[in-house]
Amino acid sequence: MNKPTFDPRKAFGQAVSQYANKDSRIVILSADSGKSSGFGEFAQKFPERYFEFGIMEQGVIGFASGLATTGKIPIFCAIAPFVTARPFEMLRNDCGYMHQNVKIVGRNGGMTYSDLGSTHHSLEDYAITRMIPNFVVLAPQDICEIETSVKAMIEHQGPVYMRIGSQALTKEFEDESFVIGQATIRKTGKDVTIISTGYVYQDVLAAIKKLQKENIEAEWISMPTIKPLDTKTLLESVKKTRKVVVVEEHYVVGGLASAIIEVLSEFDPVKVKRIGLPHLFVSSGPYDALKKKYNVDATGIYNQIKAFLSII
Amino acid sequence: MKVTIAKLQLFAAQARLNVLRMIQAGKSGHMGGALSCIDVVTALYFEVMNIDPSNPKDPDRDRFILSAGHKAMAQYAVLAEKGFFDYKVLDTYGQLDTPLPGHPNMHELSGVEANTGALGHGLSIAVGMALGLKLDKSKAKVYVVMGDGELPEGSNWEAFSAASHYQANNLVVIIDKNNLQISGVSNQIMSMEPLSDRLRCFGWEVFEMDGNDMKQIVSTLTKKKQYPNKPTAIVAHTIKAKGLSFAQDKVAYHYWSPNDEELDLAKQEIQRQIVSCKEQINHE
Repeated sequence: MNKPTFDPRKAFGQAVSQYANKDSRIVILSADSGKSSGFGEFAQKFPERYFEFGIMEQGVIGFASGLATTGKIPIFCAIAPFVTARPFEMLRNDCGYMHQNVKIVGRNGGMTYSDLGSTHHSLEDYAITRMIPNFVVLAPQDICEIETSVKAMIEHQGPVYMRIGSQALTKEFEDESFVIGQATIRKTGKDVTIISTGYVYQDVLAAIKKLQKENIEAEWISMPTIKPLDTKTLLESVKKTRKVVVVEEHYVVGGLASAIIEVLSEFDPVKVKRIGLPHLFVSSGPYDALKKKYNVDATGIYNQIKAFLSII
Repeated sequence: MKVTIAKLQLFAAQARLNVLRMIQAGKSGHMGGALSCIDVVTALYFEVMNIDPSNPKDPDRDRFILSAGHKAMAQYAVLAEKGFFDYKVLDTYGQLDTPLPGHPNMHELSGVEANTGALGHGLSIAVGMALGLKLDKSKAKVYVVMGDGELPEGSNWEAFSAASHYQANNLVVIIDKNNLQISGVSNQIMSMEPLSDRLRCFGWEVFEMDGNDMKQIVSTLTKKKQYPNKPTAIVAHTIKAKGLSFAQDKVAYHYWSPNDEELDLAKQEIQRQIVSCKEQINHE
């Protein structure tokens, strides 16, 4: 595995700026959040398309919707809970119900703002956004996928929520295109289907390698689109393995695991192990220490999968 | 002027009758607020705004946002009067799959620009529209009708700040200040006074008018601005359920489910107003 050295926020900001250079419909909205979202250069280059509003996230989502009605493609990136939990009704009505071409990006997602505590964690953003009709929900994985998913997000006509983290990532999945709603089988296997989304791929990959050493052949599906769900890839894999593990940095309620269970319970009920955060306000502290505490680091993921496989 | 004051008064009276027609179809509706703002809405569509029902998506059209979405019947009534749809559609109010839901939906009805109803949203959407139009160097303006009851919503004050910060001089907000809301008197529930001063402090150019006096409405909405770079707020002092003598200024008529007799009385009163407006026009 490559060494994680790339800042996802920077990669995101650069990717957006690259498209914004060519497409004058793109406008960047900031709630005192644009420069830390990687838009410093854009703000200097295109000041007329960079709107700083200060800290007023509810208002900004409404402004984004209004701008979109005039044909602009507004992109608003800030700390994940502040663009999802706080302005939920604006996402629901102004973007979802009005079906506007607005792109909302929650950065420092999950518990990557580890030591800042639960006010700054977003362990329910997938749940919040996937409940809104018309919304697409994305959680790109590595640096390459952040770049390709930005293109897909901009080209998609309609509201999109994307979550990115803040911890350094690798360039893992190069030369791949990003299709909204399409999962990728990263490794084939017969013993268990492991599905992961977002930036947790490094720990998942480490766990899978460890399982492989014990001759446990996992099928690994990476699912950077949480909504619409790639049910075809899911059901085909499950047909083979008959057991599923879902790994996400999200509460074990409401997120990707829930979305998967909703489908499986209707079309092919099998046992599903949810690996994520327990439904409580998690502690604060160093990110790696938090992951260890809640068993979502590579070792924790491995242990949870082993325990799951031993009882079914 | 495009039309005379007497004609605007006639359109407003006819729009009031349209509201009653919708209430008859749906058996109930947010009548009080619809009738307090309907004179302003009539003036906007017939005198002030650049809007053409045969080209409703013209990029340079003026935009109308009804932030107080529960007053939807006022907008529907005027849209019908303006020719956006056939009067018969008014009879679908309250029915399954009507294009005239209790709160407006832009995807259901031509002429509606935003899905409002949850209070404290319309102004933010309008600010975004105003900024987008400025980017396009469009001459179009954005007009918003807000209720005074929704002013305590904090999101409004985010939008008031942003509009003046970005000098959205293409934005005009009319606050339908009937001073009544579902639980009682607005200024007792949560005082927003001194309202005009608050708005001025937020960087807006502020006017006040009698929002049920057509002459004042037109002169205020077409007034030359003193501060060309500021957004405009107009505090419209209005009377809830204006036009129905038995209901005026009574909170009980915020939402009205009339019996047949009450509805007949209401219609007769508005029809007398229509006759009087027509006499006035003939007299001129």
